[in-house]
Amino acid sequence: MNTRALFLSGSAAAGALTMLLLASPAGAQTRKLEKRFVVDGKPLVILHNPSGRILVKAADRNEVVVKGQYAGNRIVVEIEQADNRVEIVTRLAGPTSSSSPDFRADFEITVPTEAELQVRTDSGSVTVESVHGDMSFDTVAADLALQDVEGYLVIKSVGGSLICSRCGGRLDATSISGSFQLLQPLLNHVRLQTSSGNIFFDGDFLSRGIYVMKSYSGTIEVRFSNQDSFDLRATSLYGLVVNQAPVVQDARRVPSPPPGMARSLVGSVKQGQARVELSSFNGTIKISKRE
Amino acid sequence: MHCEHFEEMLAQQPDGPLPLEAADHLDACLRCRLLRDDLQAIQVAAQEWGSEEPVPPPRVWAAIQVQLQAHGLIAQPSPHGRGLYLQPAAAKGWFAGGWNWASRLELAGAYVLLFLVAAGLAGYQTVPVADPLDRPGTTAQVSRGALDGLGPALDGNMQRVVASFAEYDGSVALSLRQNLTIVDNLIAVCEKTVREHPGDPLAREYLYGAYQQKADLLAVAMDRSTLEIK
Repeated sequence: MNTRALFLSGSAAAGALTMLLLASPAGAQTRKLEKRFVVDGKPLVILHNPSGRILVKAADRNEVVVKGQYAGNRIVVEIEQADNRVEIVTRLAGPTSSSSPDFRADFEITVPTEAELQVRTDSGSVTVESVHGDMSFDTVAADLALQDVEGYLVIKSVGGSLICSRCGGRLDATSISGSFQLLQPLLNHVRLQTSSGNIFFDGDFLSRGIYVMKSYSGTIEVRFSNQDSFDLRATSLYGLVVNQAPVVQDARRVPSPPPGMARSLVGSVKQGQARVELSSFNGTIKISKRE
Repeated sequence: MHCEHFEEMLAQQPDGPLPLEAADHLDACLRCRLLRDDLQAIQVAAQEWGSEEPVPPPRVWAAIQVQLQAHGLIAQPSPHGRGLYLQPAAAKGWFAGGWNWASRLELAGAYVLLFLVAAGLAGYQTVPVADPLDRPGTTAQVSRGALDGLGPALDGNMQRVVASFAEYDGSVALSLRQNLTIVDNLIAVCEKTVREHPGDPLAREYLYGAYQQKADLLAVAMDRSTLEIK
């Protein structure tokens, strides 16, 4: 077994680069790393990790702590700090032509509460807890769980799903087959689109909030409470619109329904303080009353 | 001559005759022939669109540029150069050097075409892409003839990209294939709806959205691909 750790120093602008190059025979033992980086209050943490479990959690400390674990014999983890940015990149060493079934690394990263995150991964899972900075996620098949986060949340997924619990701020999420679940959200701007995945929104529509949810074949279900006040526009070309909300049609406040064959429900609940737009190609739209 | 050198020559003389050295390389390198053929196909398609509208609408190109930049396929134009610049391979890929400019250029062309297909089928009436230069708005209709044959070519490119994933992560390849099937089915259903209800703006909007999803999926696949010059 041969383990090398290279510490490269660059210019002040480039910051410090830590490269851990692990080379070991096939069937190597699990490798672990732990690095700490002192940062200011709102650092940017970038993580590129193709496969594995990622957990990001917040702490009231001005440091980023990266703990990693991987077993691949050709995995390289590069961690770089430049000013207030910490970037973690996992990649394979050597030629790309050989089979690499063990290209997987797990990370547990602790960041300051106000940290910004940029996470790119392909498979596995990503969990973020209690971080209150803007964050973006770019995944293929990885599932995403956000808990008690707040900020501008941007999610691009091909097949991964999202469960967002007590999320605040603004959320833009797109997927092809991934589903979205928003539980007890405190979001004032929501834009969700999925093709075959389902959308489930169970929470309050905040005053002046905008909630746009679109699917092609998946089900969209939103649950409202007696206190909610919103303008509603629900349109499905071929699917059903099932409504339990006391919608009052008011042409003065809401544009008329689109022409054509779509099934539409347009109107207001109470004063219409929020705007809710639900649209589907042939999926079912449910507007349900919360129990 | 190496492929990289050939690409530079091709970029410098896209329309003119190639130097002898480059022509020799073209005879010997299937990879570069495919690249040249794709570029010529793009050129032909552009000329066909141009025959209907002598000056390409600025908004069309601005929209393409915005889309390509948004997906990280190109960087901002260099102040020292001209045209659009592709990002270095090491900037984004999982594998250092695993993604090269030639592959990106070729598949970026496919992405452009796919985007144009979507825009053309939507009649540009539902494309809310703002012109960053705030130039006067124009509308364009891409002729159906120009689009013939693009579908299979794009699907071929997509299959090549997805095939390269088998060496690296089977679950990613599987996910991409499954989602490609979903989007293709979606496009088929939406096209049928548009044919049956040509006047329905919602149906056209969904069709446009489906094509855009395929373009996005292709961009994701390109970004993760390990295709390289053989």
